[in-house]
Amino acid sequence: MLKCTINGKEVQVKAGATIIEAYMEAKENIAHYCWHPGLSIAGVCRMCMVEIEGNPRLQIACNTKVAEGMKINNTSAKVKESVEWTLGFHLINHPLDCPICDQAGECGLQEYYMSYGKYNPGMAEQKVKKNKVVDLGSKIVLDSERCILCDRCVRFTSEVSKTNEFGIFNRGDHAEIGTVDGMPVENNYALNVVDICPVGALTSKDFRFKQRVWYLKEFETVCNGCSTGCNIKVHFNENGLYRVKPVHNEAVNGYWMCDQGRDLYKFANKEFRQIKATKNENGHVVTLSAGAAAKEVGAMLNKSSGLALVLTGQYTSEEYNSILSYAKNLSAEIYYWKNNPESWDEFDGILYRGDHNPNTKGLELELSSAGIKAKDLKDLYSAIESGKVKTVVVAAPEVQKNYENLEEVFNKLNKADQLIWLTSGRNDLFEKANYVIPMKSFTEKKGTFVNHKGIEQKISKGVTIVSESLSLSEIVELFKGNDLVGFNIPTYERPQLLGGV
Amino acid sequence: MEVKLLTEHYDKPEFKNIEGYKKHGGYEMLKKAFKMKPKEIIEEVKASGLRGRGGAGFPTGMKWSFLPDNGETRYLLCNADEGEPGTFKDRMMMEKAPHQLIEGMIISAYAVNSTKSYIYIRGEYTQSIRTIEKAIKEAYEAGYLGKNILGSGFSHDMDVYSGAGAYICGEETGLISSLEGKKGQPKLKPPFPAVQGYLEKPTIVNNVETLAAVKYIIRDGAAAYKKYGTEKSAGTKLFSVSGDVVKPGNYEVPLGYSLKDLIEKECGGLKPGRKLKAVIPGGSSAPVLNAEESYRATMDYECLAQMGSMLGSGAVIIIDDSRCMVDLLNVILHFYHHESCGQCTPCREGTGWLEKIVTSIMSGRGRPQDIDLLDTVAQNMKGRTICALSDAAALPTISFVQKFRDEFEYYVREGRSKVTGKQLRRHNNRGHHAEMHH
Repeated sequence: MLKCTINGKEVQVKAGATIIEAYMEAKENIAHYCWHPGLSIAGVCRMCMVEIEGNPRLQIACNTKVAEGMKINNTSAKVKESVEWTLGFHLINHPLDCPICDQAGECGLQEYYMSYGKYNPGMAEQKVKKNKVVDLGSKIVLDSERCILCDRCVRFTSEVSKTNEFGIFNRGDHAEIGTVDGMPVENNYALNVVDICPVGALTSKDFRFKQRVWYLKEFETVCNGCSTGCNIKVHFNENGLYRVKPVHNEAVNGYWMCDQGRDLYKFANKEFRQIKATKNENGHVVTLSAGAAAKEVGAMLNKSSGLALVLTGQYTSEEYNSILSYAKNLSAEIYYWKNNPESWDEFDGILYRGDHNPNTKGLELELSSAGIKAKDLKDLYSAIESGKVKTVVVAAPEVQKNYENLEEVFNKLNKADQLIWLTSGRNDLFEKANYVIPMKSFTEKKGTFVNHKGIEQKISKGVTIVSESLSLSEIVELFKGNDLVGFNIPTYERPQLLGGV
Repeated sequence: MEVKLLTEHYDKPEFKNIEGYKKHGGYEMLKKAFKMKPKEIIEEVKASGLRGRGGAGFPTGMKWSFLPDNGETRYLLCNADEGEPGTFKDRMMMEKAPHQLIEGMIISAYAVNSTKSYIYIRGEYTQSIRTIEKAIKEAYEAGYLGKNILGSGFSHDMDVYSGAGAYICGEETGLISSLEGKKGQPKLKPPFPAVQGYLEKPTIVNNVETLAAVKYIIRDGAAAYKKYGTEKSAGTKLFSVSGDVVKPGNYEVPLGYSLKDLIEKECGGLKPGRKLKAVIPGGSSAPVLNAEESYRATMDYECLAQMGSMLGSGAVIIIDDSRCMVDLLNVILHFYHHESCGQCTPCREGTGWLEKIVTSIMSGRGRPQDIDLLDTVAQNMKGRTICALSDAAALPTISFVQKFRDEFEYYVREGRSKVTGKQLRRHNNRGHHAEMHH
C-alpha cells in the first residue's frame, strides 16, 4: 500500500495504482472523458490534469502512477485553467445542439461546462463539418460532430466485446469514429458503447427521442435474462419503463451487460402484460379481478386431488419458498419446466449464459431444502393422460421468448381437467386455460435471485405497472383464503445446504 | 569554418557504392568496433557527448544505457522520417553516403546488442529508399550484414520501411506505431521505447545523423570528437539552411558556431539589398529569433535554449525583410493543423483553430482581440499533450506574435500586409454567423 495526499486528503492505494484511481479512492472529483475503469488507458482527452508537488509540469492522472508520499491536487488555479481550456478545445467544434440531442441531461460536456466552463469561448471561425446521423445498424446511431474522440468505443469493441468494429478514421480535426465500410455494429454487447460514450455521439436507436432523461427515475435491480444476473438500473416514469443500463459489480458483471438483457424491460411494460385475470367457462372467456380469481382457484385447489405444480427458474427464492410449502400441504406433485437444459452450460465468454433463467440455482436450492425431487415435464404429460393428475398450476416463465416450446407445453398441459396459468406476460394462447392470473414482473417485486455462481442478489421493487398483479407469495395467501391487507413478503433466510459463496 | 566529418566524401559519386566507400576506409571502423566490447562502445559514445540529432538533443549514450538487461530481443530503429519543414540533411546523407549510415548502424546495433534494425524512411524520399535498399543489399553480399558478421559472432539483419508521408511518424513512438502496422500515432509514455518499444520489446530509436556520427566517434575516439563544439554541445552538426540566402544547402560546422558566420560566410549572405528580419533556427517548430537575436546566436543547444528557441533538427530558415510574418505563421500553422494526428484534444482542436484565426486575419476579417487570442490558445496547447506536435504549433505562434506583433496589428487594422501591402488570403472562415456575433 502507498500513502498519498489527494487535495489535502490522505489516502492509501495499492502499489501500482494510478493517480486517477487514488482520486476515486479519495472520492474527490476529477474531470475525465477517455479514462474508464473497465478499459485500457488512452490518455487522450487531457482532462484529468493534476499538479504533483515538485513537478513543474501538469500530469494526466490516468497514466501517472502514485508514488509514496506524493502530494497531488487538481484544485489549483493552474490545473483549473488547464481543464477549463481543454474543455474549451472539446467544445469549439461541437455543434451545441443540446436541444435535439438525446444525451442532454446526462452529457459529460454539459456536466463539466457547469463546473469549469460558462466562459466566452472566443471561437469565431467556421466549425469543422463531419458526418451526422450515421446508421450503424439496428442498434446505434452515430453523430460525428458531437464526438470528442475519447476512443472509449474503440477500446470497448477491441478489449471487451473483441469484435473490433470501431476505429478512428482520418487525422487531426477531421478524425472521425467509424466502422470499416460502414459495417453495422450488431454484437451482443454493442449498446455498452452508448453507455460509455460521454457525449451524444453514439445513441441507442431503441431509446432515441423516446424520453428526456430528466423525466426519468431509476432503480437498481438484477437482470432476469440469464443465470449471470447482471446488476442493472431501470429507467422509468409514469408511462412505463424506458431503458436498462448496467451497474458495476466486479463479482458479477463488471461494468457491462448484454443487449439481450437490455431488451427485457419491454416485457415488463403494459402492452406485453396480462392485465386482468381471465376464466374460461366452456370456451367463453370472462374477465375478473386477480384477487377474486385467486380466491376461486384456492377454494378449488383445497377440494381437488391429483394436483400438480409446475415451476420455472424465473421467480424469486422467497416465492418458491411460499409456494412449495403450500404445495406440500396439499400433497401436490412438483414438476420442473426446464427450457433446453442441454444448452445451459453454454457461455459466450463474456456475460451471456445458455441458462436463460435468473434463479435456477435458487429454485434448486429451495427444492432440495424442502426435500422435494421435482419431476420432469414428460412425466406430467403421461400423468395427465392417465388421469392421475387432474389439476395443474403453472408458474409460467416471465420472459416468454426464452421458452421456445411455450406453445407446445401449454397445449399439452391444457389437456388436464383444470389448468391454472400464472403469468406476467400476455399471450392470446393462454385464454384457453381455465384460469389465467396476472403475476408481477421482476421490476415489481422484492426478492432474491441466486446466480450461476451461487451469488445471492436482491432484486428490488421499482415501479408497479400492472396494479392487480401478484407474486407467488401473495397468491399463496389468497389461495389459502387470506387477505393481502397487511401482508408482507416473508423474510427470506437462505437454506444452509449449499454453503456461502 | 566547415568541418567535414560526415560530409567529407559527399562530392565523390563513388562513395555511394560499397567499393568506392571501402576505398575511403569504409567498414574499417566496423572491424575496429568488433575488437571492442559493446559496453566500451557505449562508454565511448557517452564520453563523446553525442546528443540526438533528430531534434530533442537527448544524450545518445545515456539513451542506450536505459535498455533493460532482461534478455529480450532488442530493436534498433533508424529514424529517417525527416519531416520537420526546412530539414534535408538526412536525405542528402542517405543519397550521398548510404554506407556511412549502415556502418554506423551496425556498430550501434553491436553496442546495444540488437539483432534487427529498421531504417524508417520518409515515404516521399523515393530516391533515398532506392539508394539505401541497394546499399543494404551490397552490405549483405559483402558479409557486413547477416549471420556472424566478419567472424565476430555477431549477427544482424537490416531492413528499410517506407513511411507514408505523415509528419507524426517522425516522433519516435509514432514511428513505432507505424512500423507495427498501426495508425501513426504517438504512444503514451511511460513506458518508454527503451523499455517497451517496437512490438513491446526494448527499442532504441536514433536519427540518421546520430547513427552515422557513431562511426566517427569509433574512428577518432571520444576525446577527438568532443574537441569539436562546446562543452555541452559536442561534435559537428549538419545544418540545412534554407530561405533568403545566396547559397542555401547543407553545411557541417562544429556546434557552437556563430549563426551570423553561418549566414554570411557559409551561405554567402543575404540576397543583394535585403536585410535580415528573422531566423527560425531549428525547423519550423522552433520559436523564431529576430535579427538582433540571430546575429548574437551560436548554434548549440544551450545558447538557443537560453534565447527561448531550440536547435531542433538543425533546419535554419532565413527570413529577410521582404517576407510577411503573418503569412509565414499561416504556412507553419497550416502544416501542423494538417499533420496533427488528432489523438489529444488540445492539439487536434487547437492547431485548426490557430490556423483559422490567422487565415481570418489574412482575409481582412481580423478582430483586435485575435492577436491575444492566438497567444492564449497557443499557451494552452503547450505541454498538455502526449507528444510535442502541439508545442510545435504553439511555440512559433507565441514567438511570432510576441516578436512581430506590429505586423499582426497592422493586418488586423488595415486588412492587408504591412510588408507586401496585399491581402494574402481569400477565405471565409468567419461567415455570417461570426459577423452577427461581434
